[in-house]
Amino acid sequence: MLKKISKFLSVALFIFHLPDVLLAVYFFILFRERSRIADHGILYVVAGLGVYFLVRIVVLSAGGNFFYTRRVRVIREIIEQFKKGRFAPQGVDIVGDDGLATVLKELVMVGRHLDNLVSTQRDEIDKFHELYQNIVFSISSYFVVMDDENAIVFANEGFCKKFQLDVDDIAGRGIEEIFYFVNARLKGGIDKVKKEGSSVILEKTHLLSVNKVSIIADIKISNILIQGRRQIILIIDDVTNKLRKDYQISLMSQISESIQSDMEIERVLYTILTGVTSGSGLGFNRAMLFLVGEDTKTLEGKMAVGPDSFEEAIEIWSATTSMTPVVQKDDSFAIESGKELLKGVLKARLSLDDDNVLVRALMKKTFIHVHDAFVDESVGDEIRELVDVKEFVVVPIVAINRSIGVIVVDNKFNQVPIGNDSIELLTIFSSQAALSIESFNSLVAVKKEMDNISRKQDAIVESEKMAAVGRIAAHIAHEIRNPLVTMGGYARRIVQQSKTLSKESGKTAVNISKAGSIIMKESERLEKILSNVMDFTRPSKYIKEFSSINDVISDTVDLLKNLFLEKKIQVQFDADGDLPLVKSDFNQIKQVVLNLIQNSIDATPTGGIIRVTTRAEEERVVLMVEDSGTGIDEEDPNVVFEPFFTTKVTGVGLGLANVKKIIKDHNGTIEVANREVGGAVFTVMFPVP
Amino acid sequence: MADKILIVEDEQHQRELYAMELEDEGYDVDQASNGKEGVDKVKNNKYDLVVMDIRMPEMDGIEALGKILSRDKKIPIVIYTAYSNYKSNFMTWTADAYVTKSSNLDELKGKIKEILTSRAS
Repeated sequence: MLKKISKFLSVALFIFHLPDVLLAVYFFILFRERSRIADHGILYVVAGLGVYFLVRIVVLSAGGNFFYTRRVRVIREIIEQFKKGRFAPQGVDIVGDDGLATVLKELVMVGRHLDNLVSTQRDEIDKFHELYQNIVFSISSYFVVMDDENAIVFANEGFCKKFQLDVDDIAGRGIEEIFYFVNARLKGGIDKVKKEGSSVILEKTHLLSVNKVSIIADIKISNILIQGRRQIILIIDDVTNKLRKDYQISLMSQISESIQSDMEIERVLYTILTGVTSGSGLGFNRAMLFLVGEDTKTLEGKMAVGPDSFEEAIEIWSATTSMTPVVQKDDSFAIESGKELLKGVLKARLSLDDDNVLVRALMKKTFIHVHDAFVDESVGDEIRELVDVKEFVVVPIVAINRSIGVIVVDNKFNQVPIGNDSIELLTIFSSQAALSIESFNSLVAVKKEMDNISRKQDAIVESEKMAAVGRIAAHIAHEIRNPLVTMGGYARRIVQQSKTLSKESGKTAVNISKAGSIIMKESERLEKILSNVMDFTRPSKYIKEFSSINDVISDTVDLLKNLFLEKKIQVQFDADGDLPLVKSDFNQIKQVVLNLIQNSIDATPTGGIIRVTTRAEEERVVLMVEDSGTGIDEEDPNVVFEPFFTTKVTGVGLGLANVKKIIKDHNGTIEVANREVGGAVFTVMFPVP
Repeated sequence: MADKILIVEDEQHQRELYAMELEDEGYDVDQASNGKEGVDKVKNNKYDLVVMDIRMPEMDGIEALGKILSRDKKIPIVIYTAYSNYKSNFMTWTADAYVTKSSNLDELKGKIKEILTSRAS
């Protein structure tokens, strides 16, 4: 290098000083030849100097030009590098120490300084960018920026990932191309933002993408201005999981509420299946529920929820955007969509002896995931035809180690593959459902039991009431009886006395006798009534022996023979010859039969028919008294057994009450009903030990 | 000689009615207005039969019945009361008859006659 420079310098010096050397040689020659050119000496000097200066100028300018070109090149290089943003130029050497070189050197220094500044700034920017990136990534929200024409300008990675879109391919596509349907809420929201310029928040909106990814999201739509142009930004928060959790809790409470509020198992089952199919629930397209029948031999289709067609599915999905209450409180419990599916499922009766996928899941208490029902032979023809879908899952409903049914789910319409996580959720859900169904069933049982108890309680209350009535009646009866017998006794005496008197006093005595006998008879009637009341209220003591009801009836019919003849009533007695004996008080039962038949005679018009039937049934003896009379004109004919109920002018209304009391004391029952052909039928049942 | 009957009854009109009716039947009738008086009368006199009411002031018929029978086990007593429920009181079983009061005295008269006849024979 040094050699090169020194060579270069020596050449330059040589070229630079060559004219001087030539000038010196010229003057030396001129001095030697001064004699020959004496006359023209001055001319040679001038000419020589002239040539020298000419050459000098040429040499100088040539050298200057050389250095100039070199420097311009350096400057150009620097500028080139500056243009590229490299403020610290590389491979530039500035030769010399003249003014230009100094300026250039300063320029390079300024450049380096600038470079420092820029790189610090770039670091800042990089840091900020990283931070920004981190922030964007850490936000779970999805961003979509659209232009005025609803074409996508930008969408963040989360969005593309969620909806399985290509990040590079998204720009320029319309929002309608991304989502399978832009539902009315989203569209309305975007339009509103465009029109009014304000932000809109859409809560719990169902979004379904073209490739059938479905989420429920809170969407914020706002205007932004970028370089004077208006754009729409959508911030989409996926709330599906949160909603699902909330929903599952609210669903369980809804189910238990529906169990408590109404006793319709259909509604409970519907609520359960809605939970399985709702977007905010487990999100399956369809769900079917089968329960083991009461005979424990069949699996019966009980309920199904899900659309019948893709159009219906879209309709449902667009409608159920938010968590609208699933269970309608009103009584018009009607299933609007999926009627065909429901019909098909309700008809299904599967024998537990059959071998199909439903029965297997039930028996093994484990879920079965069918991937291709059209190929899988273990599905069973009946099931294949019923579900009519390629992929489905059967989950057993197990309550306390006992399979009570199965839930079948599929994604028939959006054909989303059924993932293990969904199955897991469904399994959990089904065990909750099992508890609901079980608690419903036990609730029904409890209610039945409670009805029983309340009936018994009613009976107790009734007997308490009776006892109270009895005590009062007894008291009154006794208090009245004494003065009554006194009155009646004297009246009787008047009648007797006036008889002996009549022989002498004639007409007056007859009148007295008449009046007396009226008092006497009326007292007797009152006494009879009181006797009835006292009989009814008297605590009964029975002497119970095994006796034949048939004998009692024959006796009684005999006793009443005259009455039948009098009213021309035909009596039929259909006795069961094999009637077991009933442990009873013969006289009391006689009283019962007497009262019942007498009652029938009273109710039956002349020429009517009374039929008495006895029949042996399992562990009891049935006695029926039918008449062709007027029947009982009451909403509940059994009111006739209430004390003091009477339609007769003369009766007290204790006859049938007494009958009921006696039968009750024999642990039997009595009921009355109106016959369709007219008249009443009394049915008495006695237990047979 | 006519049989002597004591009527123990607190209600004056009833007592007098029975007395009249039984006298008409040919009995010799004495009256007492409560149990205590009845017991005293049995102590001091000889009766062939006592007709005894139960609900009476001072001493009721059941107590009087006990007192009379403890003195003389043989004297026949007919309980004549408006209350049929005393039948369940075993003390009344010691009486010879239990007749429920009625304006028609035929039953009472019948019982008295029956008892006295059976005694006479």
